[in-house]
Amino acid sequence: MSHNRQYNFFIPTFIFLAICILPNACKHKEQAVQVTEENYVHRSIEDVKALKKLSDYGMFELPLSEIKPKDRVFPYDLNSSLFTDYAFKKRFIYLPEGKAMTYHAEQAFDFPDGSLIFKFFYYPKDFRQPEKNLQHIETRVLIRENNDWTALTYIWDETQSDAHLSIAGDTRSVAWIDESGKNQKVNYSIPNLIQCKSCHEYAGKMMPIGPTARHLNKPYTFTTTHVNQIDHLISLGKLQGITSAASCPQIPDYANASLPTDDRARAYLDINCAHCHRPEGPAKNSALNLLASEKNPIAYGVMKTPIAAGIGSGGLKYDIVPGKPDQSILYYRMNSLYPGIAMPELGRKMAHAEGLALITEWIKLME
Amino acid sequence: MSRKSLFTFGVLIVIISSFFSCQQVDEREGIVWKNIEKGLQSAFISAKNGDTIRLDSGHFWFTRSLMMDGKSDIVIIGEGMDQTILSFKGQQEGAEGIKISNCKNIQLIAFTVEDAKGDNIKVTDTDGILFSKVKVYWTNGAKENNGAYGFYPVLCKRVVIEDCVAARASDAGVYVGQSDSVVIRRNTVYENVAGIESENSNFVEIYDNHTYNNTGGILVFDLPGLTQYGHHTRVFNNKVISNNHSNFAPKGNIVGMVPPGTGIMLLATRKIEIFDNEITDNRTCPTAIISYDLVTEMSQDKKENDSSGQPINHQYKLDSLYDPYPNHVFIHGNTFSNKHWFPTLESDFGKLFLTKFFMDTPDIVIDGFSDTKLKDGFAFCMDQSNIAFANLNIPENLKNIRTDPSPYLCKEGKVQETTFKFPGQ
Repeated sequence: MSHNRQYNFFIPTFIFLAICILPNACKHKEQAVQVTEENYVHRSIEDVKALKKLSDYGMFELPLSEIKPKDRVFPYDLNSSLFTDYAFKKRFIYLPEGKAMTYHAEQAFDFPDGSLIFKFFYYPKDFRQPEKNLQHIETRVLIRENNDWTALTYIWDETQSDAHLSIAGDTRSVAWIDESGKNQKVNYSIPNLIQCKSCHEYAGKMMPIGPTARHLNKPYTFTTTHVNQIDHLISLGKLQGITSAASCPQIPDYANASLPTDDRARAYLDINCAHCHRPEGPAKNSALNLLASEKNPIAYGVMKTPIAAGIGSGGLKYDIVPGKPDQSILYYRMNSLYPGIAMPELGRKMAHAEGLALITEWIKLME
Repeated sequence: MSRKSLFTFGVLIVIISSFFSCQQVDEREGIVWKNIEKGLQSAFISAKNGDTIRLDSGHFWFTRSLMMDGKSDIVIIGEGMDQTILSFKGQQEGAEGIKISNCKNIQLIAFTVEDAKGDNIKVTDTDGILFSKVKVYWTNGAKENNGAYGFYPVLCKRVVIEDCVAARASDAGVYVGQSDSVVIRRNTVYENVAGIESENSNFVEIYDNHTYNNTGGILVFDLPGLTQYGHHTRVFNNKVISNNHSNFAPKGNIVGMVPPGTGIMLLATRKIEIFDNEITDNRTCPTAIISYDLVTEMSQDKKENDSSGQPINHQYKLDSLYDPYPNHVFIHGNTFSNKHWFPTLESDFGKLFLTKFFMDTPDIVIDGFSDTKLKDGFAFCMDQSNIAFANLNIPENLKNIRTDPSPYLCKEGKVQETTFKFPGQ
């Protein structure tokens, strides 16, 4: 009898202990990996032919952190912009004296040699005060030389006084308060120089993504007179090959809820996905084309089967199943944070709640 | 024991077993991991054409893909596949371990890449890529959430994969896709869904490999809707042994339809010669030659909402360049043996074979779909004696299965050998 009681007491205790210890045991094991830093030098950064600091360009007033462009450095923005873990961005174009861009209806405009494009990535400490307490992370530069583009990125130092050339990229932990007052944080990923190309590749060559007619065709917000941005570029003599924005294509602002869902969703996919998912892009082997100009529903994913998606398929059969976002690979991959499943492959460590809501609504409305 | 204590006992077993599976997660404690990530990635980017990048022996820990783009004549060399280990177990970013793109004449020699979240080594749009004495695998067993491919050259020319090891890929250990001029030799390939898979590739030589305990040993597939279609492949002198592993491919992928117990499978491809292989103890389909019509048929058998069905490119009939039927397949001189009396029952094929060929699983099966206008004189022929053959005659719903090999016997049908200058030669 006493033996039996002991036995009954022993098992629940053991289970209780096991349950308490187990999750910790596993966690402990996963953290057990200790990594020691070691140098590996093959060629030094001095071998890289590029300016080593952002201030070396001399394109912005000091202190650099105030992002005040000098004369002939032209701020611009886009109708719809790429989601990069909620980072804020400021964009500038520099053209050599007396030179202009040449208009193109579909692709990025043709830039003269010596052109520069700057893009600042930063997080205000409090998104409700977007001009105050900026935390600069990186500034990317596209350089036009010998009819070719080169991409570089500069990482801001702790004092926020300058940014320094980076070859291999980095990860920075960033915290902020979002529009609703909630604390947010992310391990922001700064790309290496090859990752730059993996988005900026067009038919095997580097290409800007934003400065296209459809994305620039919007009111100009950097002066008090609200002219059209393309008209403004034309009037400054910075854009040739077209006389007015009136005949330019235009993509809507996906965040503008008063516009039709279909247009907004296609704009979102265009700026977030179509730099790879287009016939000339690095994801051409998937046969998925997410340019807003694509008219064929199968080509932009409706009842399209995946090619070599591996775990990216998530056990689902089609990119988009009309009416069923939860059965659509497109939604599944946009919602995932797992490397190898998550889309886009780079620059996204968080799910974009607003973007997902838009794509969900779009797929639900499909017949 | 009372029912209650039985239940408790059951719970205890579950907990204890989960405890052991937890322990397996880190089977190799005590490793000194080193971080050379930024330095090595910088080396990959700043290397000058003609450089050799050396990797010491040791265990190296990476959190991102290692990438190289637009280089020529680079050698990346370690101290040996058991000495230099690059682990991507802590990967937080990127869909592959190493990714090489738009390069020319790259040699990867003597190291291991393990546990990438996606593919272990992907090489794309590259002319001249050699893998020698490189091991790629996932350390935690054959799992559905392992990456798709071990070696993954795609859209490449002049590909050599030799003396390598590839294991536990949830799609293919050694995969070559949409590529031209390929040699895959002397590799050891095990516990993948597909051991070696050549897809939509031309002039491929697969020989002297040892593939065992995969779901399927060696696959030569041609799928519709891609940039090019495959032809001219020779598969010879391979050991294709006991490829009976359960199929752990994530659903939605074409290799998900490969039945466990497949030795060699050809799908919709042409100018193929399969000879002098040792095909042993593959329980279900030692050798199968099938058409894309069968893939379609298998998919349509499934109910619309059944996610286990494979996705089908319904548009393949609109693709005038795609031929869904195998063509000019010549099989000779292989040795078949099978100690198993029964096929595996994890697939429709296995169940079918159990009922149709009780205790006598055929060595070579064809599906019976045929091309009405043959381009190369014959679809399939063989110079094999003492084998069990079956034409499943699937178009007539498996009635009239024919086991007489005599309509398919021939002596000629060789496919020309492929030679090319290797990277580094």
